[in-house]
Amino acid sequence: MKKKILISPIIVFFLILLVFFYLLIIDRNPSELPSVLINKKVPAFKAKLLFENKTFISPGEFGNETTIVNFFATWCKPCLDEHPYLKKLSNERGLKIIGINYKDDSKRAIKWLEKLGNPYSNVLVDPNARLGIDWGVYGLPETFIVNSNGVIKYRLVGPITKKNYDAFVLKVKKIEK
Amino acid sequence: MQRILLVILVYLMTSQIVTKNCYSVEPDEFLQNPKKELRARNISKNVRCLVCQNQSIDESSAPLAKDLRILIRRKIEHGNSDEEIYNFLTERYGDFILLNPPFKISTLFLWILPFVFLAIGIFVIFLHNNKSKKLDYNK
Repeated sequence: MKKKILISPIIVFFLILLVFFYLLIIDRNPSELPSVLINKKVPAFKAKLLFENKTFISPGEFGNETTIVNFFATWCKPCLDEHPYLKKLSNERGLKIIGINYKDDSKRAIKWLEKLGNPYSNVLVDPNARLGIDWGVYGLPETFIVNSNGVIKYRLVGPITKKNYDAFVLKVKKIEK
Repeated sequence: MQRILLVILVYLMTSQIVTKNCYSVEPDEFLQNPKKELRARNISKNVRCLVCQNQSIDESSAPLAKDLRILIRRKIEHGNSDEEIYNFLTERYGDFILLNPPFKISTLFLWILPFVFLAIGIFVIFLHNNKSKKLDYNK
């Protein structure tokens, strides 16, 4: 009996160690935050468009089809890496992608999109990060999947890359169903 | 030698004071009304910067922290209460944005576990004491 009690802290210690090692080994970013907007309606906002002199009104423009919302900026290097994959999503899958140009110089953003190609159906400007705050954005790029009812279903913090592209498409397909 | 040590000591002490008073709030952000400014500072101290996650937005110089500081001040100017501002932030960023986690069902373990461990600790010490007392008598 006494022996059992003496040995139990060691067993507990190794169990804790096992949990820590497991958390170290799995592919996980501990500073990544889950979005509280998941399963909520898209936030209501008004924003100016980058290419046209028009106002975009949410949630009126959402719904009908699955929509991707992508926060990007020309000063954000991972956004540049992500760009080809957004084009792929738009060209190959015909997805509606709304771009939100976060705290950026509009002229530079127009040049950037003209040079690299424009995968966005609409590009909104967010000069003072108010849209970013409404969507709970804390690091660029961030990508949201909004379903055909205008409900946010998924958020990706960080770029879409070669590594996670297929998983992202799978998420989209699941939400489209 | 003593003098050098004294100089080093004074330097260390004063540098500590300087860094303690060094916040990231920039002069152009200040509100005119000192009462409102104080409220803004107090809220900022309780709000986590999501870029450098163990700093408050009052201490952080990250762009998002600055945006949030300005937003909080604008909301105060518009007459929002502290609670309304905290609610606005948690609706968008979750409870994680508060440096002081609220008492909820999801945070129950966080708040209760230290007391549970304390109770277990006291129990173990008590048990151990009793045992050693018995051993003493047996001798």
